[in-house]
Amino acid sequence: MDFSFIWLAFGQIISPQTIAYALAALGLTVCFGFTGLVNFGQAGFMAVGGYGFAITTVKFGWPLWASVLAAIVGAIIFAFILGIPTLRLRADYLSIVTIAAAEIVRYTVKTPQFVPVTGGTDGINGSSSTFDAINPIPVGHYGVGVLMYNQDDLWIIIVGWVLTLLCALLVSRLMRSPWGRIVKGIREDEDAVRALGKNVYWYKMQALMIGGTLAAIAAIINIIPTSLQPDNYGTQTTFFLFTIMLLGGATTIMGPIVGSIIFWIVLSLSDGLLSLAVTYHWLPITSVQQGPIRFVIVGVALILIVVFRPQGILGKKSEAYFSA
Amino acid sequence: MPKETTKPVLQIGEPGPGVAKVDPILVADNVTRTFGGMTAVDVQHVEIPRGAITALIGPNGAGKTTFFNLLTGFDRPDSGAWVFDGQDLAGVPAYKVARKGMVRTFQLTKALGLLSVLENMRLGATKQSGEHFFGALFKSTWKKREADITDQAMELLARFKLDTKANDYAASLSGGQRKLLEMARALMTKPELVMLDEPMAGVNPALTQSLLGHILNLKTEGMTVLFVEHDMHMVRTIADWVIVMAEGNIVAEGYPDTVMNDPAVIDAYLGAHHDTDLGSLTGQLEVAQDIDPHLAHEIEEEIEEEAHHDGK
Amino acid sequence: MVKALRGNPVGIRLLLCILALLLAAGALALGSSSAARADTTPSPTPTASAAQETIQVWVRLASDKSAVAGVTVVVTGPKNFSQSFVTGADGKVLVGVPRIGDYKVKLDVSTLPDKTLKPAINPLDTPVARNDSGDPAYFLLVPGTASGSGGSGGSTASPSPGSGSSSGDSTNYFALVANLTANGIIFGLLLALASIGVSLIYGTTGLNNFAHGELVTFGALMGYVLSQVLHLPIFIAIIGAFVLGGAFGYLQDMALWKPLRKRGVGLIPLMIVSIGLSLALRYLYEFIFGSDQLILSSNNASALTLGPVHFKQTDLISIVVCVVLLLAVAFVLLRTRIGKATRAVSDNKALAAASGINVERIIRIVWAGSGALAGLAGVLIGYYQTLRWDTGASILLLVFAAVTLGGFGTAFGALVGALIIGLLVNLSTLIIPANLQNAAALLVMILILLVRPQGIFGKRERIG
Repeated sequence: MDFSFIWLAFGQIISPQTIAYALAALGLTVCFGFTGLVNFGQAGFMAVGGYGFAITTVKFGWPLWASVLAAIVGAIIFAFILGIPTLRLRADYLSIVTIAAAEIVRYTVKTPQFVPVTGGTDGINGSSSTFDAINPIPVGHYGVGVLMYNQDDLWIIIVGWVLTLLCALLVSRLMRSPWGRIVKGIREDEDAVRALGKNVYWYKMQALMIGGTLAAIAAIINIIPTSLQPDNYGTQTTFFLFTIMLLGGATTIMGPIVGSIIFWIVLSLSDGLLSLAVTYHWLPITSVQQGPIRFVIVGVALILIVVFRPQGILGKKSEAYFSA
Repeated sequence: MPKETTKPVLQIGEPGPGVAKVDPILVADNVTRTFGGMTAVDVQHVEIPRGAITALIGPNGAGKTTFFNLLTGFDRPDSGAWVFDGQDLAGVPAYKVARKGMVRTFQLTKALGLLSVLENMRLGATKQSGEHFFGALFKSTWKKREADITDQAMELLARFKLDTKANDYAASLSGGQRKLLEMARALMTKPELVMLDEPMAGVNPALTQSLLGHILNLKTEGMTVLFVEHDMHMVRTIADWVIVMAEGNIVAEGYPDTVMNDPAVIDAYLGAHHDTDLGSLTGQLEVAQDIDPHLAHEIEEEIEEEAHHDGK
Repeated sequence: MVKALRGNPVGIRLLLCILALLLAAGALALGSSSAARADTTPSPTPTASAAQETIQVWVRLASDKSAVAGVTVVVTGPKNFSQSFVTGADGKVLVGVPRIGDYKVKLDVSTLPDKTLKPAINPLDTPVARNDSGDPAYFLLVPGTASGSGGSGGSTASPSPGSGSSSGDSTNYFALVANLTANGIIFGLLLALASIGVSLIYGTTGLNNFAHGELVTFGALMGYVLSQVLHLPIFIAIIGAFVLGGAFGYLQDMALWKPLRKRGVGLIPLMIVSIGLSLALRYLYEFIFGSDQLILSSNNASALTLGPVHFKQTDLISIVVCVVLLLAVAFVLLRTRIGKATRAVSDNKALAAASGINVERIIRIVWAGSGALAGLAGVLIGYYQTLRWDTGASILLLVFAAVTLGGFGTAFGALVGALIIGLLVNLSTLIIPANLQNAAALLVMILILLVRPQGIFGKRERIG
């Protein structure tokens, strides 16, 4: 019996996917947890950032720094466009507009007519070239057992984690500053903050832009070791991010990171166990049926977290953004 | 506090609706607001005297809160203009109104529950460069100002007897303490005109006296106060001037003693406690024609706001 | 909060006006195209709105890019899939495929109107990946033999479909518009059935139910079980989906939403719970029914022909059922005690409770009714286009768009919004690529929010 999946599951602790989801969830925390913006379009921000990076790298041949900038600027512009119509409206409008906008992005990049630019449903391969070109790590294989990484894998993991911790530090600083005080005030009651002379609309816009920027960076980290696939940025990605954020604690800085690690370990372990179960006929299911189960797990987990532990793993009960 | 024996003359000419003031801080003209065909506010002309405490009273549905919302930029009028301290404020967004020195509180207290009492106070402060995104990242640039703000906040908290609660979540305060916090927080902006929407609502009697004292203090410190209130005892005790609204119009204006002795006003409004059914009073109000839609509207508004509040 | 449902008689009148206008427009399109040649047999242009994999076949002349109608193509693929289709007036036919894989699209040259022209490449290999819609299988007809070089039949960018047919016979264009309009109205009516539930649930409980799509899918799957597994007649399947959908809605409320309301869970957390439920249910459906497309077999023959528009038997059933149900809902809301109570609760829960209305009971009824309508919409959508485990989820955003357009919490607004979205989704394909049809609808929703945030029938918010 092959138990190597357990080791692979623990490999999720440092995998680029975990990093990307942690960063994107951190962005969501800025929007939702701290500012109270129900941003259901985080996957759309990731897509905008990812395409901004991949298109400028692969199709235009821009240098790394310019592509990263393009991704971030793209996400900021996207935030701006979304924010103008919705930030003055009720929370539920923002949720629907952001989810719709994210889907519009996905439909658009998949359009056959745009294949020369976006690659259509196939997405874009090879956006890691400029990033790997500056890899200082000597060629080789690193790791133990089944957890082996080549120099490029290791490079993105290291850079990804450094970036994640930097971003977490930055967000933490922001939230402890007078700026953070204002956005938290907006989360509690935006009229009260407005009555004290703060430009609530602009602060919400800034929060959305920061959330989008983090999503863009996350997308870059996500696509460098693999490729850019449009369907990786559908609504379910946003919902995964919400699960991760709420799992860790929506009003904590480390919550998204811890949440992402746990989330991917659990999914990876359950996939591995189910594979075993299928192989050895422990359960009356087929290998095809194995796929949907992880989503059922996520869905049920999301419900349970919201109902029974709204503050997440790291949050304090008294600080739960929404008290059940 | 004893009542002053010599009262300054606030108005020019005979007191009455829309009378000119010696030194108005706020002048509003033709402010109207309708909700789906019902006129909630229709104020022809009103002036608020500077340096005095003015009470805005009237039955439920008179449009007082709506008028407040309009003046402070929280709602947009169908028409009208108003000038605060020489500055045209019509169409100015709420946050800019507050920056100009006209700050308000809310009928349903808006303490920011998951912020500490001290953070609530700091939020009111002005000129904090750390409120800007890039400034926020460098603590050294805003540290000193933050210390000053904290001093100012603690001083105010001490005055409002909330200093021992400074580090508690605002959510842990009692209803009356939240009212106090909201007022103290508004003072952090160093306003010229303080607009209080039902400061006494939901305050337990033990706190009433100190709240009255605080409001009188505002005047002593040179601020102008405009407040909406149903508690007639409070109006009599501290108001220098009373404006009566009904049906969205201003129907009477004058010194408390005079207005509150005006038989029409008494019959129409003051004779009844504010929570009695005003539907039975409508016929007696001189100007009242058809109060029911407004009444229904205002009740709805209140219930809705409460529901919203509870849902939070 | 947007005031719900008040002034709805106005809404009804407006709705009737719009319906009348639509009919008039449709009639006009029909009339002007009545001279359409009999040999052009435009299939009712199938427009998949569910996220189901499709192949877009398009046959045109290489010379002037004009469309070639009435050409038979045979699509073959994995698991012995083989079906033939005929291109419509626009030279296109959208082929829904049951599963992903590599498909071959072969043009039957004997059905070409001009035998001197042949496709440059024939057959075309068309790989279909997950969630693909409109994978191109474009044939360009060139003079000579089929081995002609330079045929760009594959995946290169093509001009928008509208321009392709504009140079063709104008009657074909009208036929296309007529077909799309008919499809739009049917799809709009189906969306309306699904949307009313979202609107009523939002109105009475404040919940934005992201799991509403799963109520729709549930009805469709129940219809599938009844008609395909138990081999019951179609009307039993439809009634069954309605009843079981209602029961599902009721049970959901009892088992989940009511306890959460009792706990006093806020609206945003509730919304997130609905997302969790949506994920869990949707993939549970996939777990049980598999990821392939499920076929609700029906008689595909044309049951009614109005000018260039052919209606299948199930199309007609859908239209009749939708109209009857929508009228019934209007009657219930406007004329019955329960309907009035529902509107009162939507308008102001506290006031309604104070005036003696049993709010919880109303909410239970709303859940059951919404579930029933959604279930019905689901089974009809299954007959109308496709059925899969994620059929409901794939139209959820369109439902939200319809509800938002109409104004949240206004049931009649939802109806009008749904018709607009239905037409938009279909008619937009005239000028933009087919796979952007949903994007167009969502974009219009966002733009309308920009100018009229309260929706078409909602009232202006008091404090913004």
